[in-house]
Amino acid sequence: MKADPRGVLTGVYYIDGDVAAGYGALAAGCKFVAGYPITPSTEAFEAICHRGPQVGAVFIQMEDELGSISAIIGATWSGVKTMTITSGPGYSLMQECIGFGAMLETPFVLLNIQRGGPSTGVPTKTGQADMMQSRWGSHGDYELIAIAPESPQEMFDYTIKAFNLAEKYRCPIMIMSDECVGHMTEKVVIPEADKIEVEPRRLYTGPAEDYLPFKPEPDLVPKMAKAGDGLKLYITGQTHDERGYPVKDAEYKSKYGRRLVDKIRLNKDKIIELKEEGTDNADVIVVSYGISSRVAIKGVELAREKGIKVGTLRLVTVWPFPDEKMSELAKKAKAFVVPEINYGQVVYDVARCAHGRANVVLVPHGGAGVHNPNDIADAIEMAAKEDKKIEGLIEFKTRLEKSVFEGGFKLKE
Amino acid sequence: MAEIRFAGYGGQGIIRSGIIAGRAASIYDNKHATMSQSFGPEARGGACSSQLVVSESKVLYPYITNSDILVAMSQAGYDKFEPEMSEQGMLLYDEDLVKPKQLRGNITAYAIPATRFAEELGNKIVANVVMLGFFTAITEVVSHDAMKKALPESVPEKAVELNLKAFDRGYNFGLEAAKKQGDSKKN
Amino acid sequence: MNSIIDALDKGIEMAGIARKRISVPSDIPFDPDAVKTLGVDYFQIPRGRAIAFGTGLKLGNPDLKVIPVAGDLMTLGGNHFVHGSRRNMELLVICVNNFVYKNIGGKPAPFTQAVFSPYSTFEEPFNFPHLGNSCGAVYTARWTALHAEELAASIAEALNKRGLSMIEVLAPGPNYYRSIDGIESELLQFYFNNSVVKNNEDPRNVAITPDEKIAVGKFTDKERPTFIDSYNVQHSKMLGDKFTPHGSPPKVEKLGGKNG
Repeated sequence: MKADPRGVLTGVYYIDGDVAAGYGALAAGCKFVAGYPITPSTEAFEAICHRGPQVGAVFIQMEDELGSISAIIGATWSGVKTMTITSGPGYSLMQECIGFGAMLETPFVLLNIQRGGPSTGVPTKTGQADMMQSRWGSHGDYELIAIAPESPQEMFDYTIKAFNLAEKYRCPIMIMSDECVGHMTEKVVIPEADKIEVEPRRLYTGPAEDYLPFKPEPDLVPKMAKAGDGLKLYITGQTHDERGYPVKDAEYKSKYGRRLVDKIRLNKDKIIELKEEGTDNADVIVVSYGISSRVAIKGVELAREKGIKVGTLRLVTVWPFPDEKMSELAKKAKAFVVPEINYGQVVYDVARCAHGRANVVLVPHGGAGVHNPNDIADAIEMAAKEDKKIEGLIEFKTRLEKSVFEGGFKLKE
Repeated sequence: MAEIRFAGYGGQGIIRSGIIAGRAASIYDNKHATMSQSFGPEARGGACSSQLVVSESKVLYPYITNSDILVAMSQAGYDKFEPEMSEQGMLLYDEDLVKPKQLRGNITAYAIPATRFAEELGNKIVANVVMLGFFTAITEVVSHDAMKKALPESVPEKAVELNLKAFDRGYNFGLEAAKKQGDSKKN
Repeated sequence: MNSIIDALDKGIEMAGIARKRISVPSDIPFDPDAVKTLGVDYFQIPRGRAIAFGTGLKLGNPDLKVIPVAGDLMTLGGNHFVHGSRRNMELLVICVNNFVYKNIGGKPAPFTQAVFSPYSTFEEPFNFPHLGNSCGAVYTARWTALHAEELAASIAEALNKRGLSMIEVLAPGPNYYRSIDGIESELLQFYFNNSVVKNNEDPRNVAITPDEKIAVGKFTDKERPTFIDSYNVQHSKMLGDKFTPHGSPPKVEKLGGKNG
């Protein structure tokens, strides 16, 4: 289906990533945004408040993030496409209802502009330390999709993709951006509406009495419904059967709970998006996502100048994780180098898939800034020279860490 | 490719300068321009800066490693960002607000009383735009025409005329300064 | 709960609103069969989020009538209630005050009455109608579950109010008390016998205390612009033709029964 021209602000803009994501949501047909402003995601919410009412999208500033995410889930069930926007502590508050959204198989998009943490952290500067929270943040077993854009244009494009994935798989989608991309200003081209594909809601159209809100279609995703259509919906956050009625026994918990994870796991190949470059003959492969993949490019260039064979694998979608791809690369390459703005998160999944065949080097960063590309280059060089298989994670000592605490804390006897 | 740093203090329109130049370069000169800002408490009165990377091809790495151009509108901004300058770089500064030290390497310096000119035009708030005119004339990173197109859509409607005047003032002063510099090099 | 479902059933009928237009988000688990009988859409949401979820339902489709039935209203949902009332979001909030959360071992809730906790309680309960009224709710009332007719009439009346209405219902949850023989009906009867109808009483005076009879009745009935009204007025003013008002214009529906 083509996008509704009303929400598409066709033109060429010089805007930041936050605003681009807001425009992307409107282009995707988002009609309801609830949020609570928080740095550095505020500009995205402002863009919606500014342009939303002109294109038929409603916004509300809720009392908190718990309310914001509850409201968008409610609005999705009333039949519209929805999004919420947050960062840092707000993202923590939303975890309760991310699980609720997953349990109710509710399509919605959550834009998280990551900042330095934990707690208030460094509100105005960047971080990538919410990645595992996006994967495991709410209690219980569920799967969702996380996307990490690296430029304002991608914030626009991938916000639309996020809405499409949400409808396709009936699950919450996390846009795991960060302050750098959110506050980076670049040219953003918004095409004509007829150039934008949007996924319509998979609404049930049969007789009301036959409707089962959680009966899977062949791709394991059930047809969606909306309130007000006389379907007498019974929708609950309790583990439920196909009718939506609560179940408690282990066999049912297993049967109905399993589908929540399998509808993503078994559709993984269709969901995962990667950008791979020069991995065929590479000794070292740099695995990165979001802003770190842009910063890594410089490090890769520097390493290539030294004659090292380096490839790059960019995780456009970080979750679900590309296990098979990574395992396959681990058979060919000597090592993976993983720069991320945290003290080790996605790198553990890389290590899991390396199966000890390739070394895994973490280039950490504590946040409030991005990597020095020279560190990434040095880590690549170190990894290329290492001929032994090293058990466990290798942590590269960055210039920053060496300069501030002489290469790491040590316990005193 | 050019790496440009605009530095000053909060309220001088330092971030806006980066946006206007970036918009001119990317939309009207069809180049690629990435603007990043230093944001937060620093933006309220204290040191403030924006960085702009302009390139003929897609900007891969979006940040400054060695700035080719430093536009300094405050002493603190100059002190903080002078060390990151390339030895072949250009320094543009407000001569009433910044006292540069001995120039390193082949750095060339261009001075303009931007804030004073802005005051003469009636509002010192356009000092950054005077500086942008100066910047356009001296560095030629962004074309004059592109800047003239980007300016009106980057400022409030009622301030367009004043901003264009401010731009011209800085631009003309810049042409003179560039000519002088060229002459002195010839000699 | 059955008495509340019965009252909803009757109230909706009296209000003359098509049942398919009604959505009930609740943190209290309803029986699926009861929901089918009511003919509404039902959502069991995380504790305390009924009003926030209902806000989304209403703004997503303004033609819906949303009735959040809240058990954890003033604890987890306290801020949602305060702000929902302030915004005058079009919701009918049924606050089920069961005094004791017996299902979690009889621990006192914020509005627990002394005699129903194993070792008594020492905290002051909330005065819901007073709170709702102060925050801007256009309709507040309180009934015990045994005031079946008054409660149904109140629901009918509140359903046709424009804005946030709040009805507090004193009702021990049957699922929780069933294990204790007779206590449910005993408690219901206790509330009923110890209540006194005080329609139009100043909500400041209707706090539930151990020493006085429980005031029941309708306490607030006023008019204020709703959230959607204000949203439309403000954006029309600022954007003119560029803005299409949200939702269909207000229409007067068949009025329900009157109380008192």
